[in-house]
Amino acid sequence: MADVSLRGIRKSYGSVEVVHGVDLDIKSGEFVVFVGPSGCGKSTLLRMIAGLEPISGGDISIGGVRVNDVPSPKRGIAMVFQSYALYPHMTVYDNMAFGLKLAKTPKAEVDQRVRAAARILQIEDYLERMPKALSGGQRQRVAIGRAIVRDPKVFLFDEPLSNLDASLRAQTRIEIAKLHDTLDATMIYVTHDQVEAMTLADRIVVLNAGRIEQVGSPLELYSNPVNTFVAGFIASQRMNFVPVERAGDGLSLPGGKILTLAHDQLSNARTLGVRPEHLHLASPTAAHFTGTLTVIEQFGEYALAYVELPGGELITVKLDGAPDLKLHDTIHIGLPDHGVHLFDDKGRALH
Amino acid sequence: MESNPTHSRLTAIALTFMAVIWVSPFSWLILNAFNTASTGQLEIPRSVGLDNFAMAISGNAGRQFLNSMLIAAGTATLSVLVGISAAYPLSRLRIPGRNAFLWTLVLLRMLPSAGVLVPLYFAAQRGGLLNQLGVIIALTILNLPFTLLLLKNFFDTVPIELEEAAYVEGATLFQIVTRIVLPMSRAGIAVVWFFSFTGAWNEFLLPLIFARVQDAFPMSVGLYAAFGQQGAINYGFLTAYSIIYAAPAVGVYFLLRRNMNTGFAGVGVKG
Repeated sequence: MADVSLRGIRKSYGSVEVVHGVDLDIKSGEFVVFVGPSGCGKSTLLRMIAGLEPISGGDISIGGVRVNDVPSPKRGIAMVFQSYALYPHMTVYDNMAFGLKLAKTPKAEVDQRVRAAARILQIEDYLERMPKALSGGQRQRVAIGRAIVRDPKVFLFDEPLSNLDASLRAQTRIEIAKLHDTLDATMIYVTHDQVEAMTLADRIVVLNAGRIEQVGSPLELYSNPVNTFVAGFIASQRMNFVPVERAGDGLSLPGGKILTLAHDQLSNARTLGVRPEHLHLASPTAAHFTGTLTVIEQFGEYALAYVELPGGELITVKLDGAPDLKLHDTIHIGLPDHGVHLFDDKGRALH
Repeated sequence: MESNPTHSRLTAIALTFMAVIWVSPFSWLILNAFNTASTGQLEIPRSVGLDNFAMAISGNAGRQFLNSMLIAAGTATLSVLVGISAAYPLSRLRIPGRNAFLWTLVLLRMLPSAGVLVPLYFAAQRGGLLNQLGVIIALTILNLPFTLLLLKNFFDTVPIELEEAAYVEGATLFQIVTRIVLPMSRAGIAVVWFFSFTGAWNEFLLPLIFARVQDAFPMSVGLYAAFGQQGAINYGFLTAYSIIYAAPAVGVYFLLRRNMNTGFAGVGVKG
């Protein structure tokens, strides 16, 4: 267990800078998820913490010690790779024991630690198998087991679930959450999947184009996104954005309706954001938006209705149950009293 | 299909004719090798025995077999060792002009070895290497472009993440190479070794020029010298000798096939 701190971390390849000064404090025992679209620098950041990429600027400390020039094996970290990176010519046991054997750990201790890790991950039955005889989920556990065996101060996960199929991914996600609870270790986890970020993280770090957009607990990010990027990225259904303009005591919406709203900075508001699950169907008189239903996706427990407004904007509405709606029907949508987000011309949230 | 009897008979005759053309040199070789009183004719032997083979593995002929083994195994091993040390950095480091370098190697590979014989000979003479060691070194040099290219391609297939994983776990570069990269490239290394082995085993020109004394000749040169030794050709000895000379190539073929089938180990990566 150790805290990790990043101070002004930069990374450039030649003249191209891909990480532009990242500051972050990760507390001991915390589960932090780096999330962002591909190419945002999240994996690069993780690899710099791991010591696999040289740092172009700034300081990284693990457990209060500056580790910029400490080689990876001495940083007290263990990494789980996206591709598992199991050694194909070694048995599961040898894969897990490899690091300990390199460190000349006594045989009895190696055996005891490998078996303890295998017990936690329930892979005791496969110890003598070769990696190619394992399924994807089992390989992933071996890869995690290899990290546990080394008893690191910090666990680093680089998109560990992206090679698994959907149901296995959900199951392994739960196991990783349990593992964090059992081991009580600092974990840094990189993913592009916001569901993994929401469900696993104590704190989420949203990255975009080499910068931190926002750091916060999953619910903070959900209810108070600082800008349109975070608002659009977090949660399963993307937030709806519509252009607005100030009109008297409220905002004029596409379609001509006025939303009356008490807010300090109404005149700066350019975009209104609202999550699909906060919208509801309304009567024609009370509705804020009126449009045509272009697509409806029925999931049984809920349905997603995609409504096209006269101006061409597409709005997603999440409706409970199985609503009886027909394609090309006219749909009236009402905004909630709370849960409406306003953004200025730069996309920053107005509070 | 046609069931016309004339037609099928014609086909049978044509096929038999082809078979005779194909099979007769081999039958000549085998029949004469086992014939203790061989005359060089294609005939059923009157007395069958292994005398010819005994002759072909004893005395000078036996020494030539050992010489061939030494040269072929030496060249293959040296090629693989030097090849590995050069191919690994070529595969992993971003060296400026790496591709140009590799393509130059391909060009070198295309040059006939006879074209560089004279400089090679004088270099060896100056270095005191007009012996089997010289042959091994010269063949290794000529062989290296091919070895290097093949090994580099094999190393390219070892995922870099495996090396990173080993590095994070505390492995040194030497440990990464010997415990991860080489075991995973086993099949490739075997292929390169066997190819170099047969190449050196078949080599005629360099040993002939470099070795110069009969004691140092490998089988390829010995076979050539066995024609017309002491005025007459001993066909029985010659055929038995040829079969022994060809045997390693056949053996290598089977070993290679087995190694090719074991295939490569991309299984550590992806599901």
